[in-house]
Amino acid sequence: MVRATPLLEARGVRRSFGGDLVLHEASLSIRAGESVSITGHSGSGKTTLLSVLALLLEPDAGEIWVAGANATLWSDAQRSRIRNHSFGYVFQGAHLVGSLSVLDNVLVPALIAGRRRERRDYARSLLDRLGLSNREGHLPHMLSLGQRRRVALARALVLEPPVILADEPTNDLDPRRANQIAEFLLGLPAAGHALALVTHDRALASAADVRLFLRDGVLACEEDAPEVPFGKKSGVSTDQQSRQ
Amino acid sequence: MLRLISAGLLRRRWQSVATVLAVGLGVGLLFAAILLQRGLKQGLELSRQRLGADLLVVPARASVDPDHALFAGSPLNVYMDRGVTEKVKSIPGIRRVETQFFTQSLRLECCSVDTEIRLVGIEASAVERLAAMSKEGVPTLQPDEVIIGGRLLGGVGKRGSLIELLGGIFRVGFRLEPSATALDYSILLPIDTARKIAGQSEALQFLWKDAGAPENLISAILVEVEDDARLPGIADRLEAIGAVKVIRAGETFQRFKKLTDAFVYVLAAAGAITAFGGIVYLVSHFASTAWDRKGEWALYRALGASRSRTVVLVVGEAIALSGGGAMIGLPLGYLFFRLGLRRLAAQNAFPFVFPSAELLAVAAGMAFVLYVILGMASAAWPAFKVARLEPALIMAQGDID
Repeated sequence: MVRATPLLEARGVRRSFGGDLVLHEASLSIRAGESVSITGHSGSGKTTLLSVLALLLEPDAGEIWVAGANATLWSDAQRSRIRNHSFGYVFQGAHLVGSLSVLDNVLVPALIAGRRRERRDYARSLLDRLGLSNREGHLPHMLSLGQRRRVALARALVLEPPVILADEPTNDLDPRRANQIAEFLLGLPAAGHALALVTHDRALASAADVRLFLRDGVLACEEDAPEVPFGKKSGVSTDQQSRQ
Repeated sequence: MLRLISAGLLRRRWQSVATVLAVGLGVGLLFAAILLQRGLKQGLELSRQRLGADLLVVPARASVDPDHALFAGSPLNVYMDRGVTEKVKSIPGIRRVETQFFTQSLRLECCSVDTEIRLVGIEASAVERLAAMSKEGVPTLQPDEVIIGGRLLGGVGKRGSLIELLGGIFRVGFRLEPSATALDYSILLPIDTARKIAGQSEALQFLWKDAGAPENLISAILVEVEDDARLPGIADRLEAIGAVKVIRAGETFQRFKKLTDAFVYVLAAAGAITAFGGIVYLVSHFASTAWDRKGEWALYRALGASRSRTVVLVVGEAIALSGGGAMIGLPLGYLFFRLGLRRLAAQNAFPFVFPSAELLAVAAGMAFVLYVILGMASAAWPAFKVARLEPALIMAQGDID
């Protein structure tokens, strides 16, 4: 059976900041309807990997392929268009625009794409599904942290992008809210989306189809991960790269 | 894009209002300075053309400020025998002479004008010269026709209308362009007619008891010399006639020009300083706000705004602020200009030509475009810088709020 072309693929990606190598030969691929979780200790390069995958950060070496095309060769305008149309990014912080209402915050990608009117009803339906229908006229400072996270999630989905990238989507949330967001995210692959999520949450990570572990810039299968609680550095170093 | 721009501006409502007002004030001052400067320059030139003479001969007892006599158009209530004209004409090197007859200031009761109105009797050659400088001017004046000063009588004094002067009915031949001098509030008429009505006026009889019959009197003689004539020599010979005072237009004009130029330079400098202050303010404002808000721009970049669209967003806000400020500044500047003009007119100190609609439009356009370009230019570099930032790195620094 021939497998579908990956929607998003990293091939031997390296990225360093100053003299510190943060990502070392990282490779992974995500297909439609598939979910990938990336876990790792704080500072292991998870957010950097997700940013590189989302074309928010340029790799020092290696390539990012989007739907079978080498995005590393694209212009800024092309990468921006793909970020807008094809990627939905849930940032670690909510990153909402304080001057815009909840509904307008959700519609920012549509505003940039010039499709605000067309996506307004869909944005409202997303807010409804996330339990925020009575908050669409509110400003971000009127919302709780959990509500702001859900607004950010709705924003990532408003253009129905094929790829969703979520960075610590349940961080700092109480268990009930965390479960609510986790269920929502994990339901996305069933609707045809490809999902890549970075998390410290073992339960959330283990629910993904593909489970990867990032240690000191090296990507490995979850099975190879050391039994050390997240948030503490293991001090273990390996050159192995792997994907399931 | 427009929604994002307006949201960005509305979020910082007071900061935006302050910027718009600052720009408005700058545009207003610049606009007013341009209008006053142009009006003064044109006024000086117009006064010189209207005078059309190198020397002005007045009675020796006239206590007259030469600057005002020549350029502010102040009439003199003094007289000399018209026979002086022939003596002046007889001096070699004089090309042309032109006499004027001023009457005492009068009140025009019929037209509800409260201020005094001066009557100036002029010769046909002066009518011709003034007509050439007026949009509606006609080169000849009938005995029952008058020329109205630019700010006199308003709609009542338009061309063809009838007015009453010292008991006689006169038709308005044409109206002079306003010049912010006493001429704006004067009525000019054929010199013989002026003498006749002044002589018939019972109210003015006390003047003629001392001076003699007005038919034999003049108030001033305008003298134009040959191109190759020596002006100082001719002036000396004129003064040798006796009982006359000679005002040299060239020297007075130069002195007055220097004074006007100084005023114009002050206005031009005020305009330049305003524009420069505007540049400094706008550059510092847009540089700091663009950098303070880098998290917001980075978010738009992350959500799909290209570098060029990010530049458009940042510069768009600058254009909205500077354009809005300019829109407010233009009527404000016109108000400044009218206030300044009112002060000038009240003093009758400087000749002034009210700017044409064309000049108003050009000056308004210049001030508007200059400040919009300044706004764009001020924001362009900060916009370029924030658009080059890696969104992931900026957003990692924390929430944009």
